[in-house]
Amino acid sequence: MLSRVAASFYWLSRYIERSDGMLRMLKINYASSQDTIQEFTWAPVIRIFAGVGDEEEAGKLDNNSRAVLKYMVTGKNNPNSILNIITLSRENARGVQEHIPKDLWQCLNEYYHTVKDPKIEKSLQREDPIGVLDVLIKQVMLYYGTAEITMERGEGRSFMNIGKYLERAIQSVDILDTKFGSVSDNPDLLTDTSYWKHLLLSLGGYELYLKTYREGFEASNILEQVVLNNDFPRSVIYSVNNIQRYFDRLKNNSNADDFRELSFQIGRLQSRIKYSSVKSIEQDGLHQYLQQIRKELYGIGNALNQHYFANS
Amino acid sequence: MIESGYFDKYSPINGVWDEMYGADAAVRDHYRKVIDYISGESADDLNKKEELAKRLFMSQGITFTVYNSGEGIEKIFPFDIIPRIITADEWAFVERGIKQRLTALNLFLKDVYHNQFIIKDGIVPIDIIYSCPHFLREMYQLQVPYDIYVHISGIDIIRDYDGTFYVLEDNLRTPSGVSYMLENREITKRLFPDLLPQCGVRSVTEYPTILYKNLLALSPRQISNPTIVLLSPGIYNSAYFEHTTLARLMGVELVEGRDLVVNNHKVFMKTTTGLQQVDVIYRRVDDEYLDPLVFNPSSMLGVAGIMGAYRKGNVAIVNAIGTGVADDKAVYVYVPEMIKYYLNEEPILKNVPTHQLGNPDERAHVFKNINTMVIKKTNGSGGYGMLMGHASTEQEIEEYKLAVLKDPRNFIAQPTISLSAAPCYMQGELQPRRIDLRPYALYGPDGIEIVPGGLTRVALKEGSLVVNSSQGGGSKDTWVLA
Repeated sequence: MLSRVAASFYWLSRYIERSDGMLRMLKINYASSQDTIQEFTWAPVIRIFAGVGDEEEAGKLDNNSRAVLKYMVTGKNNPNSILNIITLSRENARGVQEHIPKDLWQCLNEYYHTVKDPKIEKSLQREDPIGVLDVLIKQVMLYYGTAEITMERGEGRSFMNIGKYLERAIQSVDILDTKFGSVSDNPDLLTDTSYWKHLLLSLGGYELYLKTYREGFEASNILEQVVLNNDFPRSVIYSVNNIQRYFDRLKNNSNADDFRELSFQIGRLQSRIKYSSVKSIEQDGLHQYLQQIRKELYGIGNALNQHYFANS
Repeated sequence: MIESGYFDKYSPINGVWDEMYGADAAVRDHYRKVIDYISGESADDLNKKEELAKRLFMSQGITFTVYNSGEGIEKIFPFDIIPRIITADEWAFVERGIKQRLTALNLFLKDVYHNQFIIKDGIVPIDIIYSCPHFLREMYQLQVPYDIYVHISGIDIIRDYDGTFYVLEDNLRTPSGVSYMLENREITKRLFPDLLPQCGVRSVTEYPTILYKNLLALSPRQISNPTIVLLSPGIYNSAYFEHTTLARLMGVELVEGRDLVVNNHKVFMKTTTGLQQVDVIYRRVDDEYLDPLVFNPSSMLGVAGIMGAYRKGNVAIVNAIGTGVADDKAVYVYVPEMIKYYLNEEPILKNVPTHQLGNPDERAHVFKNINTMVIKKTNGSGGYGMLMGHASTEQEIEEYKLAVLKDPRNFIAQPTISLSAAPCYMQGELQPRRIDLRPYALYGPDGIEIVPGGLTRVALKEGSLVVNSSQGGGSKDTWVLA
């Protein structure tokens, strides 16, 4: 497979996954902003998702929910807005049109046209934003369903899934780091039930949490679920296991040296997470631990770039 | 004789050859079955067919991009549902004519890039060749496989008021539109079930197979599965849809310049398993952008060093580099002479009489009769930058004259040919519109093959003579009868 084609698969999938994470995060945070008597802050969301170097622009949003939504969803000047990343995703897909099923291309095309529709921007400002975000979330789910059903089980799909899970792992790490970081600045949050509830909701892990833990919201339990629970589809370990799983399938289509190099990096990260516990993480310091994982995830991305996408 | 309602209302344009409407005010025989068929359909049915055609084009993403003030707009190429029909005799004539012309043009290219006998014998003036921007010194004495330069051509053919065929221009660089020939036929199959076999229409589906066979034969390495790629400028190119279609139909890899790299005078593509040598490149990138080391240094579309690999014979490039010198409109004038010179034959297809504005006498004549002339740039395409004398204002003419005087070599003039007309379905009735014809000829080691058909472009605006898609033109399915 052409390196460019592989890179396009990887990136189109990363952007879709990113949009999924963002939309869910925005939806829960908006709901949460309607449910508090204190001043609600959008700062963590903006910190997680706004593009690099955009802090200044984002700072002007001034915790105005509608302005934040506009900036994050349809913002033309925000390189990481849903509109911009879906445009990029579609462009990647367009460049590999003859390699993806027609259904999948049409699906992505439709997602793009939905975000681009001026009605979306208007509704975000005037109507119920949750309804609008739901429309977009449905598009993502449609995409995932179509990909699952129509995509040939080959190299292309492996690159798509590696991109998807890498993006997801990075997101989960970032979200945890930001949310736990706010706690160390403001210890009161530690006992704020709604704070943790919203964190779990935005990751889609609320119901699983209730089934797993009986003793209410404990920071250490949340940490365990989001980092170490292999049954939780947005956990770091689940994502990394899947990166490993889909990378392994590339073995027969790879140059042996390139494969070994990446396989080593992925395996090392996998072990690091697998053989840690809440206790050991707390001993090392959560922030350092997450930063290390983050660094290694980025390392895997860079190694793919160098060894598979021919962008050295 | 009872004619249909559609035909009764049809009024052909005066003094114009009508493909359907005979001199005796009756339907020509070869259009009979189609007219009978649509007579059985109500206007409602036909409107539905038109809608269906539009939907099919849209949903398959068969679009092209027009660039306007920096913003690309995706459009569908308008399609008229009534086919253009060519009889077996007419086709046999056109086919012979194109084969003859293409053989001569190819010999001409070999000659100007090697011994230049045609210049030495005074048939084509030297300054015409050397002043042509598409004459590339880099190609001098370069051996191309089987001496074939023009593997793919799309020669534009028109008919004058008396039905005579003329060659309007020779497109020998990277002619486009063949995907529309294929897609139009697919859509017609859906629109008029059973009609194609009833009328005995010859199939065009062989095109990608023949092209693939020819590309395969060009591989410099004698191996069982050479790597063939289609080099596209990328997703922003207006013909990108065509590139993906052809790549898919031939099962070859679609690459962009950044996917290729040259090492040790060999071309490789970058794959996930490392570098893979490329043997044949069907390029849809113009000469100028092909190699930044040799041609335009700011090109991002090409591959650095590809010219070196080509020169060494390590890669075959289709069409060959430098073919533009043969479809330059100033060289066009000499094509009939070329046919006589190289083949010792009389030209089968006529040239449109052409005046070179580099010649002061001819220029004066053209300026005097500017209202009956079309002036074109010698290296222009897409219907841009031309002047239609009969349809221009005085000011436009004056401005154009100034442009001509600045650089007369780059302009030619031709009398306005009143292109033939064919019926089009417009708002519930049949109306005549002007058409041309672009058959696609494939030149391989086994000779020249032309799939029976081509792209019929149609000027959809009433009274318009410009068929280019960028100027409001559309297309029709083109039927060649057995």
